[in-house]
Amino acid sequence: MADVRVEHINPFIKSTRETFITMLGCEAHRGDVAVSRGKPEDPRQILAMVGLSGRMRGMVSITFPERTALRVVERLLGMEADAVDETVYDAISEMANIIAGGAKAELSGAQEKPLELSLPTVVHGAGYEVEFPSGAVWVEIPFESELGGFTVRVTFAGN
Amino acid sequence: MKALIVDDSAVMRKVLIGALARAQITDIDQAADGQEAIEMVQGTAYDLVLMDWNMPRKLGIDAVREIRALGKTMPIIMVTTEAEKGRVVEALKAGANNYVIKPFQPQTIIKKIEDTLARAQSAE
Repeated sequence: MADVRVEHINPFIKSTRETFITMLGCEAHRGDVAVSRGKPEDPRQILAMVGLSGRMRGMVSITFPERTALRVVERLLGMEADAVDETVYDAISEMANIIAGGAKAELSGAQEKPLELSLPTVVHGAGYEVEFPSGAVWVEIPFESELGGFTVRVTFAGN
Repeated sequence: MKALIVDDSAVMRKVLIGALARAQITDIDQAADGQEAIEMVQGTAYDLVLMDWNMPRKLGIDAVREIRALGKTMPIIMVTTEAEKGRVVEALKAGANNYVIKPFQPQTIIKKIEDTLARAQSAE
């Protein structure tokens, strides 16, 4: 089973908080970190995933209930958002990209060759399940904010 | 003052349009990747380019190199999640004039835009 270290998870927590306060002007409060069960509790969720590769290989996903996603878009663009559309997918994938980028910088440290990010992928719908590769452990970090709750999940492959 | 925003995220382009408007720049074109940006700078004279790094088709860093190879000298500001010092150095060596790391506050990017344009103007 892959090893999950605190020093691999903390950069994602820090980056999530920084992204929310800087881009959205709101605090994101972390709940209890746990090993993910992989099944979304709310059937209407939007999930964005970004891969990390290089010296370490991993994946970060950020899952927003639709209502939270709409409020994120409203805050980000200063406009009303009442339906999940391409703009919402784009905003959520960009949020995932920024959170992954911030964490990547810290994980890369002083390494000459930084980790690489994949382009984000977005999944939206009811009843989907995230299948975990054998041996992969996803760490689940729930957050609460004035815009609503959301969840960040992180996994790293054993090298 | 004519600006080009290059980012594969339409939402980020809108955020940047808002920031440019606060810097009194409203004549703005948009490109969704580095390749499109290269094609656009060959047909239009831009005074400023805001360039993302990670994009489909062609990375922003490669687009910067190609734009400079075309002899284009307009100021280019990288606006990216790539936050490592090595990336900043790589971008500046490629020909970027300044660097903004996402996430950013509007006042941060406005200040960088104003500084970059002022430096470009004084160098003319």
